[in-house]
Amino acid sequence: MRPRSPGPGTARGEGTFDREQFKALLIASIKLDLRSSRLSHGRRSKFPPLVAAFITYIVMGTLLAVALVSTADPFLFSLLTLSAAMFMTALLVIMEYSSVVVHPDDFDVLAHRPVSSRTYFWTKIANLAFYVTATSFSLSIPAAVVGGITFDPGVGFGAIYLVVALVACQTTAALVVLIYSVALRVFNYEKFTRAITYVHSLSTLVIVLGYVLLPRVLAEDVTVLSLDRGPWVYGAPPAWFAGAIELATSAGGGGQTAILTLLAAGSAVALIGGAMNTISLDYSRRIAELATTSAKAAEVAGAPRRSFARLGIALCRTDEERAGFELMRRYMTRDRKLRARIYPAYGLPAAVYIYGLITGGLGDPFVRRQIEGNALPAQQLLGFYSVLITLFFATALSQSDQWQASWIFYAAPTRSRAAIVTGARKLIIWRYLAPFYAVLFVLLAFVMPPAKAALYVLMVFLLAMTAFALLSMASAYLPLSQALEKTRQARQIGLVMLLGVAMGLMAAVLEILKVIPAAGFVVFPVLAVLAILAEIALRARLRRRLAGEEFAG
Amino acid sequence: MERTGTDGAIVFENLTKAFGEIEAVRNVSLVIPRGQILGYLGPNGAGKTTTVKMATGMLAPTGGRAIIEGYDIAADPLEAKSRIGVVPETGALYTSLTPNEYLSLVARLYHLDRDEAARKAGTFLELFGIADAADRLMNTFSRGMKQKVLISGALIHNPSVLFLDEPLSGLDANTALVLKELLRELASQGKTIFYCSHVLEVVEKVCDRVVILNKGEIIADGDIDELKDLTHQGSLEDVFSNLTSPGDLDEIVRAFTESVTGTAGE
Repeated sequence: MRPRSPGPGTARGEGTFDREQFKALLIASIKLDLRSSRLSHGRRSKFPPLVAAFITYIVMGTLLAVALVSTADPFLFSLLTLSAAMFMTALLVIMEYSSVVVHPDDFDVLAHRPVSSRTYFWTKIANLAFYVTATSFSLSIPAAVVGGITFDPGVGFGAIYLVVALVACQTTAALVVLIYSVALRVFNYEKFTRAITYVHSLSTLVIVLGYVLLPRVLAEDVTVLSLDRGPWVYGAPPAWFAGAIELATSAGGGGQTAILTLLAAGSAVALIGGAMNTISLDYSRRIAELATTSAKAAEVAGAPRRSFARLGIALCRTDEERAGFELMRRYMTRDRKLRARIYPAYGLPAAVYIYGLITGGLGDPFVRRQIEGNALPAQQLLGFYSVLITLFFATALSQSDQWQASWIFYAAPTRSRAAIVTGARKLIIWRYLAPFYAVLFVLLAFVMPPAKAALYVLMVFLLAMTAFALLSMASAYLPLSQALEKTRQARQIGLVMLLGVAMGLMAAVLEILKVIPAAGFVVFPVLAVLAILAEIALRARLRRRLAGEEFAG
Repeated sequence: MERTGTDGAIVFENLTKAFGEIEAVRNVSLVIPRGQILGYLGPNGAGKTTTVKMATGMLAPTGGRAIIEGYDIAADPLEAKSRIGVVPETGALYTSLTPNEYLSLVARLYHLDRDEAARKAGTFLELFGIADAADRLMNTFSRGMKQKVLISGALIHNPSVLFLDEPLSGLDANTALVLKELLRELASQGKTIFYCSHVLEVVEKVCDRVVILNKGEIIADGDIDELKDLTHQGSLEDVFSNLTSPGDLDEIVRAFTESVTGTAGE
């Protein structure tokens, strides 16, 4: 029997490093990052997407730094701003994993050229480092400036903060890369491709819990922007790096600060080193294959369920709506990349639910009570994240690497292109959002009276429908008609996270209902009217926008 | 580097690829001598592109091996790949680069001198009639323009073996004529060309030898006249149809027409 051919990693020459190829590939990668991959409706966007994203991050970082400057404790300031920067970095790498870590075209363009795995791997590492450095720099520079103005030793604090923040974000990105590569090695490849979307959700859950929520649980009292540094700091990665800043700026802290610094240095070396050993062109092939709907994959995915086809017929009033409904139904079932961009959203409310169980913060949401020992009210946060998931759908709905297939919508004699979007949105609402809120109700019924849980979920659902319509306005394109582009989704999410309107509205509604329970008779109809008005406004915008739109391919 | 002592610029030894239970390519063995243009034909899904992907190192075979200029593509990928030029079936390009940037990148991957690379790129784009678009991003290019850049990228390092998967796709008639002549000229200078296509007229004109693949297996191999004699057919199209057609073509056309016009069952 003939021996099996060696894999790419074991072949002769694959371990060699070619400096000239490395430079050429890195320059090309950075050019690709900085350029828009397509024209938008015949016009080039004012800023390259990456630059626009960086501007967004700087605004976010500035708002956060200014909000936290009132604390007199540089450790706490560093902890909270680093938490946000590390969380955002992780979220960006998770959400845009296939385009951030490997370019989708790498395999087809490079696999038949004499580029060794090692050369390719170093190019990707350098490219990822560039992307994460640029991102974390944008997120951290405002905090460095504000911290430099506020804390001793002035400029020195700012400079040290910036360096540590960059290392912290690189470490975070490395953690995400490592989670994926370990999953890829532990599970066989077929299982991994089926599980990839759930790996995304799990990563989000781990990151939210580890970087945002658990430090709050373990801290004694962050609500008043001061904290007692108990043993919890050893379990919170942002605290490690905050400790390193404290040590470097000689702001005190003693032995604990030294241990935190050691943890920061150790994790950076271990995680960055570990991640650097995982990316290869073979890995790129595997990621590229995630997008292909092979006969095997189709067989695994199976036919979309007929019950939803019947639902489409019942819900959709026109053929155009049914076309949009069917298109999304099949793509959501079979396009792993599409699911991979959406499913991380589910990790957010899941993390808050766990957080709520740990803190006991998920009791009756319509009764006033004291929050004990932690800063974040779980009920509001759960509601906020449960509304936020609509953003992932709203932004992902219009994007696909097969966007050029959307020519059919322009060539076909459709009476209303807006109806195609409406059909696609109906699929999302009834196949993905409504069941999510039903599950949320069941989960909440364990921790609060079922009637209260139902009212709470109804409130969240109505807010989510309003948010879904409003957010879809910012992404008013035909389904799957826009090119996948690095940072496109992250940029949109970044912008909406600035608003926090849903959070404010939710807090206001909950407060009103706590004080005047009878107000529910007014509040719920008002929320329903808001959702209907938002939907009407969206449809009007879609009709105007899509009527005169030309195919950009 | 170890060279395998086999004759032929391209050698396949029992090349096999299975995707799960499905064998896309089964025990394909071929020896293609230097300077030959081999037409690799087959109906859709026969395994042509899978063969090219294995031969160019894009897919690992599940059995057998592909040897390029004496180098096993799996064991010595860098040596083998440095000798091949590929025009893939799906026109994968970094479309956010310009043709000049893309060709410069490709040239550097093969360690070409920068001046020589720039001169060659300029000449190729000029000859293909897209020199005025040399510094425009390719995301606005037509399919034919992208194909011209892909072909330029396959030739810029002067490879001794070419794998072309539907290379005329999207090209205008004049460019297609130029390319066909170019292939003949390159073959006369000793380059070996593996040519996959569905356009049988072109294969008939360009190729020295034809291999027909069906359901992953070679069902015919020879020069065009040999195949015509063997199957008692008058053209390559007839030979191909005779060997691979799933049924009576006239019957298929009639059923289609009835289906299109809605007269089926009348």
